[in-house]
Amino acid sequence: MSFTLRGRIESRLAAALAPLLAACGLAVVVTEWWPLALAGTMIGVGLAFDVILDRRLDYQPGWLALPLATAELAAIMAIVYVLGISAPLFVALAFFAGSWIFAQILTHALLPYLRLSYGDDGGELGRAGLAVAVLVVASLALFGGVALAMQPPTVRLSAGIHDGPLVLDRAQNLVGEPGAVVRGGIVVTADNVTIRNVTVVGGENGIEVDDAHNVTLDHVRISGAKLDGIHVRRSSVSIRNCLVHSPAGDYAQGIDISFGFDLAPSLVEDCTVVGGREGIVTHFAHARVSDNRVSGTSLRALTLTEMSMAVVEGNDVSDSLGVGIFCGDYSECDIDDNSVDGIRPDHASGDKTRMGFAILAHYGAKAVIGDNHVSNSPGGTDAVLGAEISAGE
Amino acid sequence: MSETKECAIVGGGLAGLVGYATLRHRGVAPAEIDVFGTDADPAGQWRVRAAAIRQRRMRSESDGHCAPRTFPGLAVRASLRDKSPLPLVESWLDRYHPTVGEFLEHVEEVRAESGWDVSFRRCRVKRIRAVDGGFELDDLGRFRHVLVATGHPGLAFPPELEGDPRAVHSYQPHEYAERVEIVGAGMAAATEWLNALAAGSDVVSVRRREPERRPLNFPRQVFTRRGLAVYHDTRPDERRALLGRWSTPSYPAGRTWDEPIERARRAGRFRVTAELNGADQVVCATGFRRGYAHDPLLAALVAEHGLATTGSWIALDPDSTVGALTDGERTLALAGVAGQWAFPAADTLMGAKYAARGFLRRVMACRSR
Repeated sequence: MSFTLRGRIESRLAAALAPLLAACGLAVVVTEWWPLALAGTMIGVGLAFDVILDRRLDYQPGWLALPLATAELAAIMAIVYVLGISAPLFVALAFFAGSWIFAQILTHALLPYLRLSYGDDGGELGRAGLAVAVLVVASLALFGGVALAMQPPTVRLSAGIHDGPLVLDRAQNLVGEPGAVVRGGIVVTADNVTIRNVTVVGGENGIEVDDAHNVTLDHVRISGAKLDGIHVRRSSVSIRNCLVHSPAGDYAQGIDISFGFDLAPSLVEDCTVVGGREGIVTHFAHARVSDNRVSGTSLRALTLTEMSMAVVEGNDVSDSLGVGIFCGDYSECDIDDNSVDGIRPDHASGDKTRMGFAILAHYGAKAVIGDNHVSNSPGGTDAVLGAEISAGE
Repeated sequence: MSETKECAIVGGGLAGLVGYATLRHRGVAPAEIDVFGTDADPAGQWRVRAAAIRQRRMRSESDGHCAPRTFPGLAVRASLRDKSPLPLVESWLDRYHPTVGEFLEHVEEVRAESGWDVSFRRCRVKRIRAVDGGFELDDLGRFRHVLVATGHPGLAFPPELEGDPRAVHSYQPHEYAERVEIVGAGMAAATEWLNALAAGSDVVSVRRREPERRPLNFPRQVFTRRGLAVYHDTRPDERRALLGRWSTPSYPAGRTWDEPIERARRAGRFRVTAELNGADQVVCATGFRRGYAHDPLLAALVAEHGLATTGSWIALDPDSTVGALTDGERTLALAGVAGQWAFPAADTLMGAKYAARGFLRRVMACRSR
């Protein structure tokens, strides 16, 4: 097949129409905007590729669609990451794959079948091409406009110290300017709240999220909270690039996500958690805990318990007392590719389950263990009280 | 004055069939089309030539078929028939070449589905004369739109072999003598080398230039809209030079061709010379005569209507129509090798489709007027 630039664009837009409408439908069903943002990104990247490839590919053999799709996917994933589009990975990949397959069928079968001179015309669709382009642009403009209009307002937190607790009880983006500090904590009780670039000092809990969905904490720094650095109850949150510094004490913890088992999975990614009794802990929750650095805890570094379901991967756990990664109380944990180093036995407790275990499955829990690196942890990896450990792939 | 009919196709070969099927696809009824040819089987001549060179597979890929729609091509049909994805994968890799048998079967299907036999009239048209609102074909009637698809104007023999009893053309049925000289360096010649070697003959390849190795006769670009636009923008002398360059003999690269020849060369059964050397049999793999002047119908058309020509080619508009004889009421278009001025690979099935679609557009534009 050999495309003209107009043919590439018209065929691209024709192929994008169905996925775009599907994305609009999905956005309505899940009441989130990521499907639309994802579809828009896919169309944008595709059109950019079309312009770039236009003069470079006089003739495009069928097999080239596969490497081009791979390159497009990489570009889309990079943009999604940079823009922080919160699309679930597997759903997004499935959406891309479905759209690509549909595009292949459309351009290699349906359009040549329906349009006698489709190949001769270099993929151009004549008047239909213009109609398709108008439809795609109109759909994007309409739904994009609605999405934009419904975006929560952005509140700028100026540099300096602000007395808390701040209570965020409606959807908004709270964005701190460099040097913005809240003293006394932040409480989130509304859905669709994003807190970005804010430092929180002190308070009972540093940031407390209660009964809220689609809450994002990005680049927050928390220190000196009496209880939890980040305290999440019956909520779904995405926590990225955070720094939590917990003081020594009987009650201080880093991040606690609890009682959201029936909600969308929460995410803790690329955070640094230092000190406290437990670094990152989930109770009865769905969570993905990945690429974090946890150290200096006095009870357990990572705890997934009370029937939690969790993926724990790529974390760096070090210099903690008793247990490194704990999967307990009928939880199901997928523990893979973590590095655990320097977990010291807690002889003072007299508890045999705290004797420097890097990974411990406890009380009916099921842990699938992958390629973890364990060192300087005398307890190694073990399962006790009816818990099971099996090897992952 | 007799009634003016809608369409005539002059030439009953594959290009004629493609033109006919294309018109039928857009709803032109069999009663509105007359096809004039000497053999009701549209693959009749092609079948003889393919058999003569023992051709087993098509050189073109999946798109090389006679159906008006590009999709489904022969690869899809083969996949469905054989319940195997292999033809699709080969097509995806530009490596699918249907067998001659599959192609001929497909031609029969198109012939039957299109109603070809209803419109076919067995006769050779000798003269096309432009009249008001159409064309008169001998005394066969008056037609608004005429597609001329008369095919190659005969087999080409080297002048020194004209009338030589030892000489046979590669496209004529033949067997092989013990020692065969094969003249030429294109696809037909390469095929003959392998055929003669397989038949146990010693082969002398007589050629004055080394063959070019290309997957197709023409660069892929000239099959594309953008490539054609560049081609159509060339000056007549440039275009003539391009057509000359693309007409040089070629055959595809690959071990299928090279290994048997190399084995025979090592065994002393294959060698190359520049001159004929007195073998018992000389196979002329020298293709076809070139140029409109060798086709009496086209030569008369040019002479009687003063049509513009450049070298051996009739100058055509980009859609394969003869501009001087085409207007809002009538169309004269050339398909097959005579249409090279508009589409370099006009003697391929894709070329036939290109001309057929251009012709169809003109016909439909007139009908909607």
